[in-house]
Amino acid sequence: MTELIVHITVPIAIFLFIAGFTLFAVYAERKIAGFVQDRLGPMETGRYGLVQTIADILKLLQKEFITPSAADKILFAAAPVVIFSAVFIGFSVVPWAPDFIPANTNTGLFFIMAVVSIDAIGILMAGWGSNNKYSLLGAIRAIAQMVSYEIPVGLSLIAAIMITQTLNLNDIAYLQGVESPERIFFLGLWDVTDIGGIFAWHIFQAPHLLLVYVIFFIASLAECNRAPFDIPEAESELIGGFHTEYGGIKFAFLFLAEYAMMFLVSILGVVVFLGGWNTPLPNIGSLRLADWTTGLAWGLFWTLTKSLTIIGVQMWIRWTLPRFRADQLMTLCWKILIPLAFVCLAISGLWRILVML
Amino acid sequence: MEQFLFYAFAAMAILSALLLVSIRNTARALFLLFIVLFAMAGLYLFALADFVAITQILVYVGGVLILLIFAFMLSNKELLADLQSTSQRFMSLPNWQSMSLSLAFLAVLVYSFIAWTKEAPEWMARAQADGSILSPTDDNIQTLGLKFMTQYILPFEIISVFLMMALIGAAHLSRREGSR
Repeated sequence: MTELIVHITVPIAIFLFIAGFTLFAVYAERKIAGFVQDRLGPMETGRYGLVQTIADILKLLQKEFITPSAADKILFAAAPVVIFSAVFIGFSVVPWAPDFIPANTNTGLFFIMAVVSIDAIGILMAGWGSNNKYSLLGAIRAIAQMVSYEIPVGLSLIAAIMITQTLNLNDIAYLQGVESPERIFFLGLWDVTDIGGIFAWHIFQAPHLLLVYVIFFIASLAECNRAPFDIPEAESELIGGFHTEYGGIKFAFLFLAEYAMMFLVSILGVVVFLGGWNTPLPNIGSLRLADWTTGLAWGLFWTLTKSLTIIGVQMWIRWTLPRFRADQLMTLCWKILIPLAFVCLAISGLWRILVML
Repeated sequence: MEQFLFYAFAAMAILSALLLVSIRNTARALFLLFIVLFAMAGLYLFALADFVAITQILVYVGGVLILLIFAFMLSNKELLADLQSTSQRFMSLPNWQSMSLSLAFLAVLVYSFIAWTKEAPEWMARAQADGSILSPTDDNIQTLGLKFMTQYILPFEIISVFLMMALIGAAHLSRREGSR
């Protein structure tokens, strides 16, 4: 019975976190947009506009359910559920702190890759079910982009996995800090197993992983359909893309899914490349900074800090760069990112065989 | 709890498969196929084949199904209407043939169920005696990777060459005529 209660409370806790994060992130996004465009952003509702997003969600929640009369009603209603649950399931295998993980499976990373691809089905459902030209075009663009960019994401993750030799996200995080079960070498030369900190992160364990992380970051931006890769929702060309016809709570769920996806790819990149819940502070002689800042509360703190920083960078990029054209988007994916990722994959193999053994 | 989940997945797979073959709306049928494949992946988990389950979702749901839906969306409306109206004869056998096929399948299933519940095969008993069995918490992926790279290296390589051929063929077919 207690097991059942745990199985119910953990997802609810994660859902509440995602909902709270989305409220905060929308506010942050609008403030960052205001800063980049040299204006103030939301200022009217509450002090500095702090309750603006709460007012927005209250408005969305009390709106009427509107289904277009020509829409395929079942697909139209099911799409937001499929999209949100696909992203939501992904959170079940992500570690937040040492051994603080909803499901500690050996297939964690592979599982995330698989469930995130369900997202694409949901978007197609929304686009087709709306029975609207713009929605369908948006959905087709979104799928073309997501299917293409899944390849560099997968290849960059494989390049990291070849170094870690495990798909368990909890173990991957352990391999990047002072509590590592194996010896860690900074750039393959300097033994930093006892020093830990920023030197033990994967991006510094093997120098090419820094490039791999950049590939992962760019491709994951495209996976989330965010600017500069937001042609699926390009509002100047497609009105709103696949969610044109959605309103009220269904739109709220699509929005929630988008921000949850941002958080998921950020935390995934943090766990695989940027040390997960490990501290960036190294041990210096008797100043045991890394040992002092490792633990459950510190783990949560570092995971959140790193992920939120990455999300901040995503927002900064969104409001700085203009949108890619569709052909530029595909060129970037197939002619630049994928070949680079393959080269990194080969380097990873050689690195594992020649340097790490 | 586990039994309840197993039967839930099985019922989901069977019901949506039945609905899938009887539904007239092709778009909805494709999305029902998603539910069937997803429920099948859930059933693989109960056979301790977590890798197969996830690969099923990744390859079939994330790849093949999306391609199917794409093909459906990009195809001609008249062609689709044609296909829907004649779907009683599209890719179908005469009634007595399909009947005998499904009965044969049912017979095989019933026979294997009876034979295996009466007495487990010898290799099963031997593996249980040896202790060479997998538990749900074992790292299946490690075992699979080692097996692929040692014992089953030849089939693995042949499959990769085969996939490469398919890829090159697809690239050749999609090339514009006269671009050389």
